[in-house]
Amino acid sequence: MTKVSLELKDISKSYGALRASHKLCLSVNKGEIHALIGPNGAGKTTLIKQIYGSEQPDSGQILLNGELINNTSPSLRVRKGIGRSFQISNVLLGFTVLQNALIAELARKGKVFRFFAPAFSDPSLLSGARNILEKVGLLHQSEKLAAEISHGERRLLELALAIATNPQLLLLDEPLAGAGAEESRHITSIIENLKSQHATLLIEHDMDAVFKLADRITVLVEGKTIASGTPDEISNNSAVRNAYLGDGD
Amino acid sequence: MQALKRSLEILKSSPALFILLLGFGLFPIYTSMADLPFWNDVSMRIMLLGMAALGLNLVLGFGGMVSFGHAAFIGIGAYSVGISQFYGIDNGWLHILFALLFCAAIGLVIGFLALRTKGIYFIMITLAFAQMLYFFFVSLEVFGGDDGMGVDRASFLIIDLWDPLRLYYLIWIALFAVSLLLLLIINSHFGVILQGIKDNESRIEAMGLSALHFKITAYVASAAICGLAGALFANWQEYVSPDIMHWSRSGELMIVIVLGGLSYIAGPLIGAIVFFLLEEFLPELLYFIAPDYSENWMIIFGPMLIAVVLFTKGGLMAIFEQLHRRITQRQNTT
Ligand SMILES: Nc1ncnc2c1ncn2[C@@H]1O[C@H](COP(=O)(O)OP(=O)(O)OP(=O)(O)O)[C@@H](O)[C@H]1O
Ligand SMILES: [Mg+2]
Repeated sequence: MTKVSLELKDISKSYGALRASHKLCLSVNKGEIHALIGPNGAGKTTLIKQIYGSEQPDSGQILLNGELINNTSPSLRVRKGIGRSFQISNVLLGFTVLQNALIAELARKGKVFRFFAPAFSDPSLLSGARNILEKVGLLHQSEKLAAEISHGERRLLELALAIATNPQLLLLDEPLAGAGAEESRHITSIIENLKSQHATLLIEHDMDAVFKLADRITVLVEGKTIASGTPDEISNNSAVRNAYLGDGD
Repeated sequence: MQALKRSLEILKSSPALFILLLGFGLFPIYTSMADLPFWNDVSMRIMLLGMAALGLNLVLGFGGMVSFGHAAFIGIGAYSVGISQFYGIDNGWLHILFALLFCAAIGLVIGFLALRTKGIYFIMITLAFAQMLYFFFVSLEVFGGDDGMGVDRASFLIIDLWDPLRLYYLIWIALFAVSLLLLLIINSHFGVILQGIKDNESRIEAMGLSALHFKITAYVASAAICGLAGALFANWQEYVSPDIMHWSRSGELMIVIVLGGLSYIAGPLIGAIVFFLLEEFLPELLYFIAPDYSENWMIIFGPMLIAVVLFTKGGLMAIFEQLHRRITQRQNTT
């Protein structure tokens, strides 16, 4: 019983003469990791932005659990079940790691318009926040400012915040970007462990991670899908090899 | 009772605020012993300016919204008193109620429209709205136009304000209440999200929250607080004119906040005190050095403000905080 979580139908978007998305069709099922790969400037991030709602497609439909969400704001899409990590870490730099997680927990619970209830000392929020950090193994850095932790740790926090709202659809934009080898393995195993809980659309340049994680892979070049299939199919696809994997046989 | 206990508990989290409020509360005892009643008047002005700055700081310091039109809300609060009296409503509580309601309503409209923009556009739009309101009151001949209108100190049911000390403590209680309210708010669910928006709006949106709703709410609350300050200001000055909502007053509020430290709850109060002392004494000081320039005390104040901003990175409160840290460190080492 596979459930289609995200379905894109003929998504097109241009920036002037530049076609960033060209009639893209794609679906992600619950429990599945669908990887989106392609060279720099292929339009991967642009596609994620359209799914998330910070950019509008020129045409095409975006369906989340069968519901058309083209005209909803990003924050509403998050409430409907989308979680997103950003290519460039996008955390609350002036807050501690724990406070970052706590604010995400607060947002998930939705009790946000409370003007007198203290936030950072609330035991249930604190334990929720610790839970979130535990999932990514960042608990030991709780009290550090997000601005002061290492780059790799900030990637972990970014991931933690993306999953904190318990999304049905997780959009990960290069979660390994800039992380060291050890950290990359760590982040990869987290994504793998969490995969049963949501549908994941993963953008990643690290091919080891992609082939380890992905159930399906779609290859994007200049806004167009040039191939889509299982990892085996993709690694044997000559068009992909020529255009992207480039191990020129 | 529970709430009161928590409020007092939370006051401990900002000793500076506690000391300042205590200081304002005890000040009249000093002035009566030293026979300096004039200074009660100064203290009231400082408390009123501080109250308005506290209100503005909710959006400026904690929400990151640079509103350049908050004097308009002080003006609306003050005119709420004047106009009510004009129509024969003498009850001070009603005046305050009107001030809060009008400011909240107008704050809602301005916030709703202006908060769709950011940065310099937001600054300009809030200034434009404030100027509109300024000229609106200038053109209202019924209420004195440019010349303004006289105001009697309102009666607050059993408490009338014939004794200046009663006005003093009315203002003090209002300041105390506003300070506590803001202290509770900035530590609340709403408050931390507001500060999160200031830090990184796109992350807060990615958590599923609509930043605009929080900003508008903060804007309305801040407008209402400035309205309260304005209503009390009318009672203190016994006179209202459009001058109270001149754009330079909005600038003055911002200067007070930046001087005191915009990320500190007590910042606006420290700023208000120092600003008034400088305004009082810099001209006299300047008179000794260069008599011709004594009116232009801003010549000295300007560079001082710039120095504070550049070198403390957080206003006077940041200096106090550093001093405090050094002292406690020294105590720990010895
Ligand atoms: N707001 C914009 N205005 C104009 N062009 C844009 C805009 N955003 C992206 N582009 C262009 O669209 C193309 C796709 O960009 P996108 O960021 O989606 O690439 P990407 O596949 O994520 O690349 P990378 O792997 O480097 O992250 C690029 O050529 C980029 O320059
Ligand atoms: Mg990208």
